[in-house]
Amino acid sequence: MTNTSPEHKHQRLRDRVNTFVDWLFEGYKGVVPKGPKVFNDALLGNLFFAPQEVAVIDSPVLQRLRRIKQTGLVHYVYPSATHSRFEHSLGAAALSERCFAAVQERASVEGTGPLGDADRTKGDLAHLRMAALLHDVGHGLCSHASEQIYKLLSDLQDFKRDKAYATNAPGEILSYLIVTSPAFTNWFKKYVVEGCRADLNLDTISKLILGKHNRKDKTFLANIISSAYDCDKLDYIARDSYYCGLALTVDLPRFYSMIATADYKDHKVLVLRNYVPLEQILFSKMTLFGSVYHHQKVKCLDSMLRSMIGHIVDNPGQASFPPRGGSQGSFADAVDYLYPTDDEFFGQANGFGDTYIKGMLTRFRNRDLFVRCVEISRRTVKNWDSGLRQKLIDLTELPMKLADSIPALPPMTGSALIQTSRNGPIQHVEEYFPVKQWTDAYAHNKWRSYVFAPREIAESVRDAAIDVVQEYSKLEIDPITSNLNCHLS
Amino acid sequence: MQAAHPAILPDHILTAVLTLAKRESKTERLAFQSYDFQLQKIFSEFQETKKYPILDAFVFSDNGPEPYSPALNESVSRLQLSGLIGRENPDYEFVFLRPAADRFFDEVLKQEFDDSQLQQLTEIAAEFLKRVTVSGAP
Repeated sequence: MTNTSPEHKHQRLRDRVNTFVDWLFEGYKGVVPKGPKVFNDALLGNLFFAPQEVAVIDSPVLQRLRRIKQTGLVHYVYPSATHSRFEHSLGAAALSERCFAAVQERASVEGTGPLGDADRTKGDLAHLRMAALLHDVGHGLCSHASEQIYKLLSDLQDFKRDKAYATNAPGEILSYLIVTSPAFTNWFKKYVVEGCRADLNLDTISKLILGKHNRKDKTFLANIISSAYDCDKLDYIARDSYYCGLALTVDLPRFYSMIATADYKDHKVLVLRNYVPLEQILFSKMTLFGSVYHHQKVKCLDSMLRSMIGHIVDNPGQASFPPRGGSQGSFADAVDYLYPTDDEFFGQANGFGDTYIKGMLTRFRNRDLFVRCVEISRRTVKNWDSGLRQKLIDLTELPMKLADSIPALPPMTGSALIQTSRNGPIQHVEEYFPVKQWTDAYAHNKWRSYVFAPREIAESVRDAAIDVVQEYSKLEIDPITSNLNCHLS
Repeated sequence: MQAAHPAILPDHILTAVLTLAKRESKTERLAFQSYDFQLQKIFSEFQETKKYPILDAFVFSDNGPEPYSPALNESVSRLQLSGLIGRENPDYEFVFLRPAADRFFDEVLKQEFDDSQLQQLTEIAAEFLKRVTVSGAP
């Protein structure tokens, strides 16, 4: 009888991740760094890393991220957006320290500090920086573009049904599993803890990646790694807008001066002293979603990738990515998405031996992209207020092909807390200004979904797609307006 | 691809609870004062009673000082997106049910739930009404 208990399923995914990490370290000769290193980051300037951090940066776990673009396929639309998860990870580590220093300084002047140990080789700051450095190691092919596909696979859904992982994105769960895998743990002990004489606890680091801390008086450290205004967002908003050439502003110095810690329901949490910095973060995030992540051509590229993956999954004997490590290259489970990096996947000239994949790779190579052939939005749907569009929105939760281009709403992480003065009440920021409601309203107005097709068959796909959408959801699409918006005749 | 097919989506559970609450309240238009963190609290407490297995679709994290279910948070957003619920401008304090929710419940959702689930949803709706401040029609 097959064991289908949650623990067994969790263990199965853990084992697969461990095999992946083993494969990653194959042939790698670990070296203990001779000293610290300075990295010159285009966005944040000179970033200083301690030897134990350099050991991790130089390891295959972090180096793999050089070959995974931070914004997936966005560079086909914004050509300079070729930055990688690697530099984002360095940036997040640096910003985690700036957040930590800011709350320490605030606690010091308010007479409530010190909050923690600011040593780089042990204690709170060292763990915080290491968690920020490792927070994205679970990202796979094309970052979020593939995360949207594998998040619906049952192995990850089993984790999401566990309250310990309920708030975590699929990539974060995979990062956690990589960091807690025996293969990584053994390497870390030998080269970081012993080699660099760093007093670091991998359990604390891995929990921080999930936005948790074993000690309630240290919850604010977890908030710095994962919350409505964490170091990840601070870096990616600034970095993605910089590399896309969008002039978005997050006034970081002002932000640092407005964060503090407070005691709330037995936890010491991160709070805002003023909501204006959060407004900036949210507006910038919304602009990035509207202009970049949900740009119609980016959604088209995501759909093309999904189409290729779907084809590989449906035809495992015919179109698999070259097998390696524990992967058959079939993209049938979440770990399969960790093996190929962007350059390897798109560099497969023979198309994995499959005509369809070969044709699609040629399209990517020549940027011969699909075009919009149907728009589904308030502008094109006659019975928009019928409530029937919920049937389409349901598809974002179901692994069905019709869902290819239906954009999900930008994720919001938890609820932010605000305390306007040291001894004042701690409130949810929503009570001050409707943070989620504004972002929902903005997303609502920007929301539109498309069906994409090769240009040469766009009109016949359009006709069929309108029928399918109507048959499935009873939504009536006005073909004239849709054509106009899609620039079809 | 071994994909998970959730039997009943969180969005459908929330729609059903709100629609049944509206019917229970016998108002033309159910509008209730609620910030999302309040909804989180109400539903996490319902779930803690363990009387309503249907609410297991909302998994509440115990990471921070308050239970938090991303599925519930996202459902609220998606129901607004689909036009089943709305929020009153400019304060956004009141959530109201749109007429489309009634139709969607009767035409699409009702068939998805079995008798036991409908019974649970009806009880949750009645409890829900006791926990929120209902506003009259504007």
